Amino acid sequence: MVTTRPAQACPEALARRRRSTPAKRQRPEDVTPEDRAEPQVSGDGGLQLRAPVKKSKAPPVGRVAGRLSSSGACPPMHPLELQTFRDYGHSWYRFRKELEGRFHPLDPLARQPQVTAEARCKLISWLIPVHKHFGFSFESLCLAVNTLDRFLTTTPVAADCFQLLGVTTLFIACKQVEVHPPKVKQLLALCCDTFSRQQLCNLECIILNKLHFSLAAPTINFFLEHFTYMRVEACEADAWEANNARALAKGVAELSLADYAFNKYVPSLLAVCCLGLADQMLHHEKPLNLHLSDYSEEILQDCLDKLHLLVSLNEDSLPLVLPPEISEQCLYVDK
Amino acid sequence: MKKFKRRLSLTLRGSQTIDESLSELAEQMTIEENSSKDNEPIVKNGRPPTSHSMHSFLHQYTGSFKKPPLRRPHSVIGGSLGSFMAMPRNGSRLDIVHENLKMGSDGESDQASGTSSDEVQSPTGVCLRNRIHRRISMEDLNKRLSLPADIRIPDGYLEKFQINSPPFDQPMSRRSRRASLSEIGFGKMETYIKLEKLGEGTYATVYKGRSKLTENLVALKEIRLEHEEGAPCTAIREVSLLKDLKHANIVTLHDIVHTDKSLTLVFEYLDKDLKQYMDDCGNIMSMHNVKLFLYQILRGLAYCHRRKVLHRDLKPQNLLINERGELKLADFGLARAKSVPTKTYSNEVVTLWYRPPDVLLGSSEYSTQIDMWGVGCIFFEMASGRPLFPGSTVEDELHLIFRLLGTPSQETWPGITSSDEFRNYNFPKYKPQPLINHAPRLDSEGIELIVKFLQYESKKRISAEEAMKQAYFRSLGTRIHSLPESVSIFTLKEIQLQKDPGFRNSTYPETGHGKNRRQSMLF
Repeated sequence: MVTTRPAQACPEALARRRRSTPAKRQRPEDVTPEDRAEPQVSGDGGLQLRAPVKKSKAPPVGRVAGRLSSSGACPPMHPLELQTFRDYGHSWYRFRKELEGRFHPLDPLARQPQVTAEARCKLISWLIPVHKHFGFSFESLCLAVNTLDRFLTTTPVAADCFQLLGVTTLFIACKQVEVHPPKVKQLLALCCDTFSRQQLCNLECIILNKLHFSLAAPTINFFLEHFTYMRVEACEADAWEANNARALAKGVAELSLADYAFNKYVPSLLAVCCLGLADQMLHHEKPLNLHLSDYSEEILQDCLDKLHLLVSLNEDSLPLVLPPEISEQCLYVDK
Repeated sequence: MKKFKRRLSLTLRGSQTIDESLSELAEQMTIEENSSKDNEPIVKNGRPPTSHSMHSFLHQYTGSFKKPPLRRPHSVIGGSLGSFMAMPRNGSRLDIVHENLKMGSDGESDQASGTSSDEVQSPTGVCLRNRIHRRISMEDLNKRLSLPADIRIPDGYLEKFQINSPPFDQPMSRRSRRASLSEIGFGKMETYIKLEKLGEGTYATVYKGRSKLTENLVALKEIRLEHEEGAPCTAIREVSLLKDLKHANIVTLHDIVHTDKSLTLVFEYLDKDLKQYMDDCGNIMSMHNVKLFLYQILRGLAYCHRRKVLHRDLKPQNLLINERGELKLADFGLARAKSVPTKTYSNEVVTLWYRPPDVLLGSSEYSTQIDMWGVGCIFFEMASGRPLFPGSTVEDELHLIFRLLGTPSQETWPGITSSDEFRNYNFPKYKPQPLINHAPRLDSEGIELIVKFLQYESKKRISAEEAMKQAYFRSLGTRIHSLPESVSIFTLKEIQLQKDPGFRNSTYPETGHGKNRRQSMLF
């Protein structure tokens, strides 16, 4: 479990570095009863944490001492994978980049009479811990969200079926990439058995049909991996930085999946910006060259700004989606 | 930013007036889907007949917007930019509750019932709707989803569906194209005549068939969809991946026919698989043909690998060959971009013969190199006329491999001695044997290449791309390397199939033997 302390301090560090901070900080009194399940913040903590981040007290319990050894979010890079990347990385990238536009859902909620951005946020924010709980990959989550959005562009969905749609798209995504996809029974239980097996299977069938089995969408996950390998390839020395940036970027990417405002950005753009932002937050000395992505300065800046804002809005919760070592990186990195 | 504000205010206005605008909404739903009257089965009046009308549903739903209960309504998990812009104090937290993650041993939530709050209690067992205990009827659901009311999708419905559904991207053009394709018979089962059954597996039955449109032979792979767990993974993977793979050395997926009970994949028909081909020529193939086949395997595989698709189930039964000698990779049911499963998705045993030693020893590292070991095994089998490592169990398979290539040591396979799996087997220390003794018909360049496939360390195995450039293929000329992807190598004059020395004309191709072979490709 992650404690709140680094959670609070980390975005503070970020905020200080920014030119202006439109974000209103979370006050302790804003914390609802449910939130108190989390460790409480000391009186001055939430409001004005002006002290240098390094001053923060003893490391929280459960902190992995020293290096980032067991980052669950970010598998260590195998020499094998790096070699395969050398052989094929460029063509993988080119191919997915080409497909990206075809799989990008354009304003999926525009024609939805009942499903709102709010509901979508709620659903995806629920799918995030669900997929983690089962131990599914980030790839599965990305695919599920893509399938969900593209299905929404084809069919009006009632608000009370929306959760069923969410688990069904996760189900399909897992069947694509997971070794052990979940059982229907498990998924139904997640929804408190509100829906029946027949309903789920029927909906699955309809989704496959409506999307004509076009399911292999390029994902943020793929591009995060790609750009990470790319920088490791370019300079072996900062593999550690690259890995940390990837883990943090993944957390930011998760947040952006849930937020409808980011729907307009294609995965490759989001991925490169998430990594850029992660480098900034972790004060990396050799940040990723964002221009490797072929996007113009203007486009990159726009997306980066939005992500900045998103992160500062979710400063308390972002650490919850990060491996503990990473959220502490924000604290213990010098400078 | 202004956009965000506008969107939010729209959302809010929507939820505040939702009671009044309900019928409007319902109508809107109807209109949206019913733009054409072919859409008959899709919701007609949007008012479900049950007591739990949409009114009550929506009322409940909006209730949570109007009077924030314990928790800020907009805080739901994940502060959204939109809500932030309008209400700075509200939309800013990702309240994912990790503490309450209670799961039973079977992976189900303990909190499946008895949840009194409509808010998130745990990442599992959450009902996003306000009514928790109510099970909506199928009819209800279908209405809501704008689907036909009966549980069973009526015959022909899905085809109709396909015509009428506006696809997600270019709505009109694609839609009309689909419609016109459908008019000429694509996507319809009537277009295909089943001729004979070629084989049957747990999930699929394969028929030889004929298309009424083109009069061409086709292979119809009929996948049953009525399973406990919905559509089989193999079908989902095979179709979604094959849709994007168009290559002269990969079997072409012509059409998909989706009916209520089954999914039929319509493939191009190829006369036989490599196994049958080898049988038919008495296991003595022309060495020139071995080269052509190997080149085509590598060409198809390189194409897959460039797209990050691993086949993962290469074996002679999955390599189809037509009369012209064109070889195509088939059966992508196990293919995927990620991970190696240790079990298959049916009770049928996947042959171990083509599996690399690192996978046999339980490695979960996956990469394009996992396909390359199998290529080496198949190469040997074509050249020598017998399978290289016909093991019956994992241990037996490893034993056969080590007996020929030598038991690995720290020098020949760095890191192997620290593998528990490997140590537990405690294999005798075999010395490597020269491969040429086992495949005497192979020339030195062939031996050189086969050794590059059969490397213990997967990172040392040659890639498909690289293998095509090896000296072994020099005799095929240079033009073969610059062919467009969709063009067969036999379009080049210099590339011709030779008569296989052991060939006996198989005018009676469908022997029981052949059928059994077919079966193995259907799991």
